[in-house]
Amino acid sequence: MKPIETEIVVVGGGPGGYAAAFYAADRGKKVILVEQDKRLGGVCLNRGCIPSKAYLHATKLIQEARESAHRGIAYGEPKIDVAKLRAWKEASLDKLAQGIAGLAQKRSVQVMQGRGHFEDSQTLRVETAEGQRFIRYQQAIIAVGSKPSMPAAFDLGNKRVMTSTEALDVEDVPEDLLVVGGGYIGMELGTVYATLGSRVVVVEAMPAILAGADPDLVRPVQRFAEKNFKEVRLGVKVLKMATSGKKIQVTMEIEGKKIDEYYDRVLVSIGRTPNCKDLGLKNTKVAVDEKGFIRVDSQQRTADPNIFAIGDVVGGMMLAHKAAKEARVAVDVIAGDHHEFKDVVIPAVVFTEPEVAWCGMTEAEARQKGIDVKISRFPWGASGRALSSDRTDGLTKLIVDPETERILGVGIVGHGAGELISEGVLAIEMGATVRDLAEAVHPHPTLSETLMECAEAFYGYATHTYTGRKTEA
Amino acid sequence: MDIRIPRLGEGADSGTIVSILVKEGDVVRKDQTVVELENEKAVAPIPASDGGKVIKLLVKVGDKVSVGQAILTLEGGAASPAASQQSAPARAASPVPSAPAAPSAPSAPVSVPAPASGDYQYESKTGLPPPASPTIRRMAADLGIDLRRVRGSEHGGRIVLSDLRAYIQGLQQAAVSAAPSAPAAAKTAAPAPAESVDFSKWGPVTKKPLSSLRQKIAQKMSESWQAIPHVTQFDEADITSLLALRKKHVAAYEKKGAKLTVTGFILKAVVRALQKHPSFNSSLDEAAQELVLKQYYHLGVAVDTESGLIVPVLKDVDKKSLLEISKDLETLAEKTRSRKVGIDDLKGGSFTVSNLGGIGGTFFTPIVNRPEVAILGVGRGVVRPTAVDGKVELRTMLPLGLSYDHRVIDGADGARFIREIVTSLESFGEDQVKI
Repeated sequence: MKPIETEIVVVGGGPGGYAAAFYAADRGKKVILVEQDKRLGGVCLNRGCIPSKAYLHATKLIQEARESAHRGIAYGEPKIDVAKLRAWKEASLDKLAQGIAGLAQKRSVQVMQGRGHFEDSQTLRVETAEGQRFIRYQQAIIAVGSKPSMPAAFDLGNKRVMTSTEALDVEDVPEDLLVVGGGYIGMELGTVYATLGSRVVVVEAMPAILAGADPDLVRPVQRFAEKNFKEVRLGVKVLKMATSGKKIQVTMEIEGKKIDEYYDRVLVSIGRTPNCKDLGLKNTKVAVDEKGFIRVDSQQRTADPNIFAIGDVVGGMMLAHKAAKEARVAVDVIAGDHHEFKDVVIPAVVFTEPEVAWCGMTEAEARQKGIDVKISRFPWGASGRALSSDRTDGLTKLIVDPETERILGVGIVGHGAGELISEGVLAIEMGATVRDLAEAVHPHPTLSETLMECAEAFYGYATHTYTGRKTEA
Repeated sequence: MDIRIPRLGEGADSGTIVSILVKEGDVVRKDQTVVELENEKAVAPIPASDGGKVIKLLVKVGDKVSVGQAILTLEGGAASPAASQQSAPARAASPVPSAPAAPSAPSAPVSVPAPASGDYQYESKTGLPPPASPTIRRMAADLGIDLRRVRGSEHGGRIVLSDLRAYIQGLQQAAVSAAPSAPAAAKTAAPAPAESVDFSKWGPVTKKPLSSLRQKIAQKMSESWQAIPHVTQFDEADITSLLALRKKHVAAYEKKGAKLTVTGFILKAVVRALQKHPSFNSSLDEAAQELVLKQYYHLGVAVDTESGLIVPVLKDVDKKSLLEISKDLETLAEKTRSRKVGIDDLKGGSFTVSNLGGIGGTFFTPIVNRPEVAILGVGRGVVRPTAVDGKVELRTMLPLGLSYDHRVIDGADGARFIREIVTSLESFGEDQVKI
């Protein structure tokens, strides 16, 4: 069969892949987008960011209704219909996926459903429902993403041991749920299940949950978990699991002692693995590192001159918005423009209760690298908006270069932190100083004011907090 | 009392006043810089040896002064009353209108040299690049400008568009003022472009815009021609036996995928001559008044491309065999003709060879490829009856023209250098050719 000729083929239709395909088409290229799933959108849309946020949104109401009682407004116990909840989530995913497919069509991006396999540096074989198709391309962009890691020791072939993929297809609300791994996925899904009524135990091998975030930003999340989960165990290792009737028997090591416990379900959320297998990379010059991530340079080029790679499959921060930025870089470079993924501020957001978000340099990173920084903090107890919405469990902080007053990093924990962090991204990307932030008027009463007041606190004159620091002329 | 020029240090007992930072009526502190003095070595700030109110300035900008000469007179004879007098108005922020200017005076910009480019280097204590918006960073990347060399004017050292613009203008100014040789800068400024003439008055014409390569060549040639006093020395080399050598080995080279050309032989001969005459492998640093002798032998080879002359550089010719040279020469020329040659391949040459023998013509006077100091122009070999050991024989004579920078190289050395090349070519050893 004669191969289909195209300028660009994008393998993988997630937030990196479809962004790359659309942008390439917008720049006048002929593009084929290959996706093995029926639905475009990848993990993000189908098994990650979007469904988890849908659940978090739906269950938040339960939380808020409960907390409302002490304000004099009380509700009865919620009735939870898991099947209906799942159907609602599916409906919103369908709507989103259709939107993406529609956008592809409008741009004349040809979407081919099937598994892609590289035959050589310029040919991709796609296993479609109608048989094999061969695509002869000038440039390929690999955006096949990642999947949840599942160590062999935990992989019992028992559906009660779940990864985030299964946990997001809520089948029932288990009475006892063990979450292995206190990273953002474990904490977010733990919150969903705890709110639905599960007794949740989180086990984290490291001494803190939410690795990567500054400890002062993690503290409110830790407090929420201590109150709403059954337990958060830090520095504890899970040794093995076994099926025991309708339960999972889990062996852990706590302070040198082995203990056995029984859970209805276990969520394993200990990291993600790149989807490089069975892609035929050995037929190309693409090189992978020891963990299986594809090696790329700052222009997203792999070792094969015809192949670029973006997103989770190249490692780094495994986030949809990082993939989308890399998509821009790869397509610009293919189009002959100069573009590099360099000095890019990638914000991180954890949608826990409360949310945690940070960007740029963290305080821990500065300390670790021995960089002299000044930290300015603004506790939300001093924010009128936080008080009036009963959400004083927050903190806004700035990491500042004391010499130039340049903002190096911003960290926020609190209700809506994920929305607030973008101002920090803009500030850092623009090379703004604390003075710039302090001088920009923020609307009252909003949570965004905490950023301005935090900047003012740096100079010692924030209206709603007293630092004791004197302002210099 | 008078403030006098203090001892300035070894060998410096006079200088020229380049700026005066105070004016009559100002109150100066002890040790405050009052004038700046330039001598052969540096611009030195001259501090006041005492404090007080300036009654009279005794010098003006441009004056030549020597150690011990008075430059200004201060009110009050003794040191102590003057000192207390000056500190009083400064500290007590009472409205004393008589002494306002002193604190701001030191920044008087009388002698500040070109502020834009200079040697500014951003120092990052945080490991981060200098602050600038994404737009500016992208723009700098597109233009190939390292933002760490651009001084940011905004709070926190943030670089904005006007800073980038000032930096580029500074670069342009630096490039323009560096082009003509330093002392004669003013006189040899580029002539104004000739007025356009309407040639269509005399017959049909077509107009073609100059390609950027052509513009670059034009600029480069004018600069070299104007900056360098050229001398061209001619000679001929008898290459009859060299051609025989070439004929004998050309097939062996071909088997190895290389083309054995006369240019290859010439490059070998040139390297040998450069090694014996290092001044030909040098550059003149006009600003530092130094001759920079290079320890490497990177030879530029002029290549005739469809769009014009390009001179790629063959690196480390001294370390290469004739086979390697032949191979490299061919790939470099091919890359150049297809315009795939990288910017690195065009830089760092220490001497240039221009061989027009393939086209024809005898002697010509090539223009030195500045900042190199010499260039060899090779014409086409001519078969001619020549006297050899008292007998007339038919020999192939290769016309050579060596142009050099007469500021660096004397005529005698020029003749010695070209003789060296001729001798090398005439006695080219087979051991160097054989593979």
